[in-house]
Amino acid sequence: MDLAPLSWDFINYFLLGTTVVSTVRLIIGPTLADRLVAVNLIAAQVLAILVIVAVKEKLSVYLDVALVYDIFGFIGVLAVVKYFGRKEEIR
Amino acid sequence: MTEILLLLHILMGILALLSRDLLKAVLFLAVLSLLSALLFFHLHAPDVALTEAAVGTGLSTFLYIWLIRKVGLKEDE
Repeated sequence: MDLAPLSWDFINYFLLGTTVVSTVRLIIGPTLADRLVAVNLIAAQVLAILVIVAVKEKLSVYLDVALVYDIFGFIGVLAVVKYFGRKEEIR
Repeated sequence: MTEILLLLHILMGILALLSRDLLKAVLFLAVLSLLSALLFFHLHAPDVALTEAAVGTGLSTFLYIWLIRKVGLKEDE
């Protein structure tokens, strides 16, 4: 896939900017569920950055990082939901 | 890109230190290790980023959550 070098930089900085904007919800979110959704959103955006850099550099080792990161991030969110998922504990 | 990531590191670290709710601190720590994995990746060290993503994001979050479940949610004064 060939794009102009400037557009790679634009995609990277755009996704990083949306990550910074999603951090606001992580900080001010009143309930735990808001913060959990914000963590998941940031994880999705970081995953997009990882995959895009892997496509740009044309190295398949970079895709392994994205794969492992996605699996273990999902396990982390699952742990929070399993142990603190009941209604009276989510504040 | 490195400067923005490092600023987010500082912000997440301060928030994880200052929050009294332990579960909130664990979520901040998860985002901190996520961003550090992205930083290692950006600095062309994919093996370090792989280990950081596996240990920092998955294992340590799971371990902290399991321990908070046993110990209790609030930090005592």
